[in-house]
Amino acid sequence: MADLRDQSLRFRLRREWPAYIYLIPTTVVLLVLNAYPIAYTVYISLTDFGTGGPHSYLAYRYIGLTNYYTGFTTGASISWSLIENSFIWAGGSVALFLIVGLGLATVLNQEIRGKTVYRTLMMLPWAMPAFITILVWDNMWQYETGIINGLLSQVGVAPVDWLQHPTTAWAALFVTNVWLSFPFYTVVFLATMQAIPKELYEAASIDGAGSLSKFVHITLPYLRPTIIFVGLMGFLFTFNNFYPIFLITSGGPGVSTQIFITQSYKDAFELGGSPAFSTAAMYSVLDFLFVMAITFIVIWRTDLTRNWLK
Amino acid sequence: MRIAKRVATHVILIAACLFALFPIYFIIITSFSTLPIASITAHVLVPKPSQLTLASYHAILYDQSPSFASLLENSLIFAGSAAAIGLGLAAFTGFALSKFQFPGRRTFVYFILIISLFPGFIMILPFYLMFAKIGLIDTYIGLIIPYSAGAVVFSGILVKNYMDSIPDDIEEAALMDGLGRTEAFFRVLLPLCLPILGLAAFLAFIGPYTDYALANVFLTADPTKWTLALGLYNIANTDTGQQNYGLVTAFAMLMSLPIVAFYMAFQRYIIGGLTLGAVRG
Amino acid sequence: MTGIRLEHVTKRFKTETAVDDVSAQIEDGEFVVILGASGSGKSTILRIIAGLEVQTQGHVYIGDMLVDDYEPRDRNLAMVFQTYALYPHLSIYQNIAFSLKIRHVPREEIDRAVRQVAARLGISETLERRPAQLSGGQRQRVALARAIVRNPEAFLLDEPLSNLDAKIRTTARIELKRIHSELKQTFVFVTHDQAEAMTLADRLAVLNHGRLLQFDTPQKIMSDPASQYVASFVGSPEMVFLEGNVVTKGTAFAFVDGPVELPLMGTGGPGQITVGIRPWDVVLTRESRDGGLLGRVTGVERLGSSDQIFIDLMPAPSAASPSGRGPETATVSLRALARAYDYAVGDSVYVGLDADRALFFDPQGHRLESVTASYRPA
Repeated sequence: MADLRDQSLRFRLRREWPAYIYLIPTTVVLLVLNAYPIAYTVYISLTDFGTGGPHSYLAYRYIGLTNYYTGFTTGASISWSLIENSFIWAGGSVALFLIVGLGLATVLNQEIRGKTVYRTLMMLPWAMPAFITILVWDNMWQYETGIINGLLSQVGVAPVDWLQHPTTAWAALFVTNVWLSFPFYTVVFLATMQAIPKELYEAASIDGAGSLSKFVHITLPYLRPTIIFVGLMGFLFTFNNFYPIFLITSGGPGVSTQIFITQSYKDAFELGGSPAFSTAAMYSVLDFLFVMAITFIVIWRTDLTRNWLK
Repeated sequence: MRIAKRVATHVILIAACLFALFPIYFIIITSFSTLPIASITAHVLVPKPSQLTLASYHAILYDQSPSFASLLENSLIFAGSAAAIGLGLAAFTGFALSKFQFPGRRTFVYFILIISLFPGFIMILPFYLMFAKIGLIDTYIGLIIPYSAGAVVFSGILVKNYMDSIPDDIEEAALMDGLGRTEAFFRVLLPLCLPILGLAAFLAFIGPYTDYALANVFLTADPTKWTLALGLYNIANTDTGQQNYGLVTAFAMLMSLPIVAFYMAFQRYIIGGLTLGAVRG
Repeated sequence: MTGIRLEHVTKRFKTETAVDDVSAQIEDGEFVVILGASGSGKSTILRIIAGLEVQTQGHVYIGDMLVDDYEPRDRNLAMVFQTYALYPHLSIYQNIAFSLKIRHVPREEIDRAVRQVAARLGISETLERRPAQLSGGQRQRVALARAIVRNPEAFLLDEPLSNLDAKIRTTARIELKRIHSELKQTFVFVTHDQAEAMTLADRLAVLNHGRLLQFDTPQKIMSDPASQYVASFVGSPEMVFLEGNVVTKGTAFAFVDGPVELPLMGTGGPGQITVGIRPWDVVLTRESRDGGLLGRVTGVERLGSSDQIFIDLMPAPSAASPSGRGPETATVSLRALARAYDYAVGDSVYVGLDADRALFFDPQGHRLESVTASYRPA
């Protein structure tokens, strides 16, 4: 419509007020189903709901930051492990996503026969619902009945008890996660690469640059905004990616692969008759704080704010 | 050297495709297989025709309780309703953000972007507590409400971006032709947004359709309301499922079919929509 | 059906003023062209009339009705956009019928009206197609049809021919004029193309930086421009301007610029002055004629119908430099409209100026209407 940027506030209100009407439903939804639950969770984390004995289900008390204090100072607490694991899970996954994605995109970015076929086939993991495929991956990683060990034994490698040791458990999780996400990253990077003008590479060739040099000096700089963007999105997404850990390792062995969100779910819904809502809430709050902190740091440091707001 | 590079390229790509397709192949083959899966030596990659059967599918469709039909119906109710509501919300939000320059627009966008960063799973606990308090656990409405909120911001931004690319003068032409802004929205702008609305509907549908975590918490007591995701998890974790993984994979195939079909039909839009956002970033 | 009146319409943005105190009365049935360069405010004025923009100050009347508070849909105007703005998802038939459909006009009547206007504009075969399948010229006619079928109070056209190929543009122009004379309705047409403006307009409004410089018939604007800007903007090839001085010659004044000397009537006193003369009033001859100045051809521009010859005048001999050449003399350059193949670069020609047609301007560009020139001494 007309450019109203330079009009007075009153004028813009008079003309554009229907926008507010259109936004009422969404605002209500976001406040009631996003903002309020978060506030409520924070509140619960400051009580003894579920952790103060049987009475605390009906009449819980406000106890301030006690949960947090015990969560970080007690020897038996797992909070530090949760932090460590969450970062390993998110950081390791994103690193792999970027490497595999960039690698495959580079390979695909040539003139090859069957490029579309390759691309379509590679997109298939991403097309299938994650919940289903992760469930199947769980089965595949099983020690005795899993097909991965079955294949290994058929080529003469001893079967690995994947989910029994932390290192192999992480390996299984990372492989699964890469399988889930690499198509997305490949396609995104490929699309960005294809937008790079071919003349830049040609000029570099004439100047004597080799493939590696071209990649480092032309491709990467062009991709930098995309890498940062999808990298950040990927990190935040993985940080709270529930199903792989929930379905495959359940946080185990022990809590070596447990992250905030799975632990929170467990405390709230998997402790049978006596759920620990307050600690579950605490883990949620910690999770949330980390997510927010990371987001703001990255946005602030890399000036991600796009001005697509006219 | 060139040939080596070409060969290496295809080798890598083929390897990537094998990696991508193997689990899917596994699912498909197992769902049609008669072999008991519980023993390692029974792992055969290319089964002989005599080892193929539809028994698993038959069992899933007819011999389950709650029945597959019931699970499917519930999943469609939940996901479909959530998609319809989410679509409406996304359309209104996108329109307001794209075609109006109201005071506070910038603040509002920051507000919803920040809110969209809240991890969805974190909401499960407060939702449960909130909805339990007002007695909406184990009801249809109780679960549809949180489901509807899932993709609102993302879909809203998608619609906004798409509408940004519709020239302003089409809306102006509609105004000159005698429509008010609201009518112009419904009769001119929305029909022009059908591709992105289709995508938004898909995104709003797929989340609830494949959700286990929230459904598990909300639909505890009443099996008649259980969704496909709950059914699949159950069967994967019972003995029968683990003895005969064919059942589980057959279930998985049936459950995935609508999604994969939809995706294949619209993959150009989906990839296009995603890469557009990413490239601009 | 009705005229349009603008009263002191101003449109201000934070950083600039797009429309600056424009007042004008457009008569019923007139074809008015608003002419201006990009950024002159011409489109803004049109949009203000349409109601798509709201003016900061001033009033807009359609007929006798004050429409300031009216939404576009209530003003009963039709607009043809530069990009045509056809609904991509509707057929041509539906595009044209759209405005009627939303007014709940009966279906048979819609059908009749649409087919009638389509026939009139020669687009009947396209009715079942989509806009994307049509050529630019066809789309432009659909946009026009969409406007005509509404039978509005007036038509607003925002550079509707600018996106057409040059060849089609001339035909479209003629067609538009014909339609106007058939419909006998008010047309307000915006363009930056002065040739287009001159051929189409009953009256022409020249705009610069939001100000209305002159609102008159094309002939008057050519012969009697209100300012140097108007004089330079209208008329092709562009007017020749010579900056010189008013000098006393005995009891009279004369315009002097290098060798050019024109007796002046109506000036106040010495000072700087600019003379403007149209290239077709610059006469070239091979032999010296009464008062002709010697010059050398420095360029020949072949444009077909409006070839231009560029001439540098030889400096006049003076006391300081008997040979005529000197470090202080700036070269006076002119353009003349003549047949290109008669002249070559380097030729010597004699230049005469049709002094009756010379126009004078002050250093700020204002038109000095009382000042005229004549070869006959006062």
